[in-house]
Amino acid sequence: MKQTPQMKKIQENMRPGVLTLRGFLGADTRDLVEILEGDAAEVRRIGTTHRAIADRMRYLRDQGMRGLGEFIDVEPHFEVRVDSVRGGIPSPFGDAGLIRKTNTTVRNKVLGREIFYTDVNIHLIGDHGFYEGRGSLFRMEPHELAEILEVETEQQQTELPG
Amino acid sequence: MVSALLISVGAVSGISAFLALLMVIADATIANYGDVKITINGDKELDVKGGKPLLGILMEEGIFIPSACGGRGSCGLCKVRVTEGAGQFLPTELPWLTEEDKAANIRLSCQLKVKNDMFIEIPEELFNVRQFRSRVSSLRDLTHDIKELRLELIDPAEIEMLPGQFVQLQTPEYELTDEPVYRAYSVSSDTKDRRRIELEIRLVPNGICTTYVHNYLKEGDEIIFNGPYGDFHLRETEREIIFIAGGSGMAPIKSILLNMADEGSTRRARYFFGARSTRDLFLVDKMRELEEKLPNFTFIPALSNPEPDDNWKGATGLITDVVADHLESGDNVEAYLCGSPGMIDACIKVLTDKGVPEELIYYDKFG
Amino acid sequence: MSPETAYPVAIFFAAIFTNNILLSNYLGMCSFLSVSREIKTSIGLGVAVIFVMASTSMLNWVVYYKILIPLELEYLRFIIFIIVIAAFVQLVEMIIERVSEVLYTALGIFLPLITVNCAILGVSLFMVIREYSFIESFTFGLGSGIGWFLAIMAMAGIRQKLKRARIPRGLEGAGISLIITGMMALAFMGFSGMLPIG
Repeated sequence: MKQTPQMKKIQENMRPGVLTLRGFLGADTRDLVEILEGDAAEVRRIGTTHRAIADRMRYLRDQGMRGLGEFIDVEPHFEVRVDSVRGGIPSPFGDAGLIRKTNTTVRNKVLGREIFYTDVNIHLIGDHGFYEGRGSLFRMEPHELAEILEVETEQQQTELPG
Repeated sequence: MVSALLISVGAVSGISAFLALLMVIADATIANYGDVKITINGDKELDVKGGKPLLGILMEEGIFIPSACGGRGSCGLCKVRVTEGAGQFLPTELPWLTEEDKAANIRLSCQLKVKNDMFIEIPEELFNVRQFRSRVSSLRDLTHDIKELRLELIDPAEIEMLPGQFVQLQTPEYELTDEPVYRAYSVSSDTKDRRRIELEIRLVPNGICTTYVHNYLKEGDEIIFNGPYGDFHLRETEREIIFIAGGSGMAPIKSILLNMADEGSTRRARYFFGARSTRDLFLVDKMRELEEKLPNFTFIPALSNPEPDDNWKGATGLITDVVADHLESGDNVEAYLCGSPGMIDACIKVLTDKGVPEELIYYDKFG
Repeated sequence: MSPETAYPVAIFFAAIFTNNILLSNYLGMCSFLSVSREIKTSIGLGVAVIFVMASTSMLNWVVYYKILIPLELEYLRFIIFIIVIAAFVQLVEMIIERVSEVLYTALGIFLPLITVNCAILGVSLFMVIREYSFIESFTFGLGSGIGWFLAIMAMAGIRQKLKRARIPRGLEGAGISLIITGMMALAFMGFSGMLPIG
């Protein structure tokens, strides 16, 4: 499907080797708008919003910063480690300046699962609803994110009202 | 039959040729902005061809406005004050300009096309920034993920810079990229040697430049960089110095210390180096050497998570705790920090709690 | 109103409502479906389409009746019309970029997108089939452009509402968009009979 010139430019920015080595699209051959729509529908189905997920990611990162690069306990049952490397990456959407290269690892001790994300992910998810293309190194499935980070959701009606 | 064929081919060619001619004329007239003059800071004049963005034109003339996104309009760093000749604000500039910026005629030079004569203002320091061609004289491992890169300058042959400043290294197009990319690294060598620079580069998992340096660059290769940039440098006072930096944050500190040794500085200085375990320590012998050369300098490495077989006898714990333990009072102390924002914020708190005034705490902001 | 002056006016309104180039003739769908996601970009593209349709219908009328017919080369119209449209758009882009950078970023970036929009070519071809005069071609082009603009604005508005709706998984994206377009087309069919044309 055709995209607006602006979207095309943004998708160009996401290709490997432009901003980061592997880019943001992974092996996904779909257009950026289709990826965004697919994930938006998924998030609606789970019963939350992009903002809510990003806020949760940000909260855990801020709590984890106190560990200065080591794992630290965060209520109720998480272990979080936050570390940074120097420099910043511009957002492929071109609207957030240089985003710091901060990496957050969150372990959910009750579920026994671990997830890893960067500050760039927080911006892409919260401001644009972009969870990266399928097959990308940093792809986050919305429902996995919501589960592991325990984002508050409302149960969605799946049957049509009879 | 043949005549019909000829006429049709003739007509199509004729019409296409006419339109193509129109395009050429238009390109030469409408799209051609001719020669324009850019006046910098009221005295320096540049005669250039118009039509392209200001950032690119200045770069071609040897003036390097800082930019981290290659002129795409994604980083907001390339701001320049244009007092005359700029025209209306573009939609692509507006996200980056505050109300004060707009009132002060600040523009985003990668988006602003030069179509007529312009008057601009740039900070004097930027005139000292040049593009350098250099050769890799050595590339060796410092730790499992940090490499030390030594470059010998080719042209220009010398660089004048302050210890603590950084350069932008250019990663050329290589197997995994389509265009050159610039990344900033602090210089870790003694700046007294103007013909060489040394950088400490840590491998970042998805990094374009670090992957290039670690996996593709070889000794003898040529590489381009520009600089010097930055205002992180030692202040000329007699105050006691506290340095705090871990990992590749050591680079500017090392440069400053080497310079202090050259000058025979007698200032009391302590360098707190935070790492996780012994495998993250490096250049310890270099630091011990500096301890010999500088009578009042002490190197204090601190491990936050030493392995049992490290047999670590030195300080342990978070770097902030170690600093708090060692620093008696903040009187007559200035601090230089280089590291992640989280670490810097935490250290600033510890230092201010001990009485170090905030304006005497200097940090390398781009971590 | 005499038939000579009434006809262009009737053609104008027919092009917008009863004979809508997009909803009745199904031309110009691809950029319609993709750009209608956002209202702001829809406005930009819509205005660009109006401008290009009105201008190229006039240009192509001149080329057809003054060059192709005298040389008996009517069958070449498909190629020639496209060439003229492409050249025209390119020229306009250059002029806009020169005259106003702001207008260029608002409108000019859509111009390459509509060069290959079949609706533009469609207008010129209809003009030939229906044997419109020069004035009629102009009103037809202008009306078609406005009709296309109307359709994309309506679609953009509907899609804003869709953002909050629960859509069955299988119909997401192209599925629901096409169903809605079909419904809009049905609605516009209600206009038929309103005018003494088509």
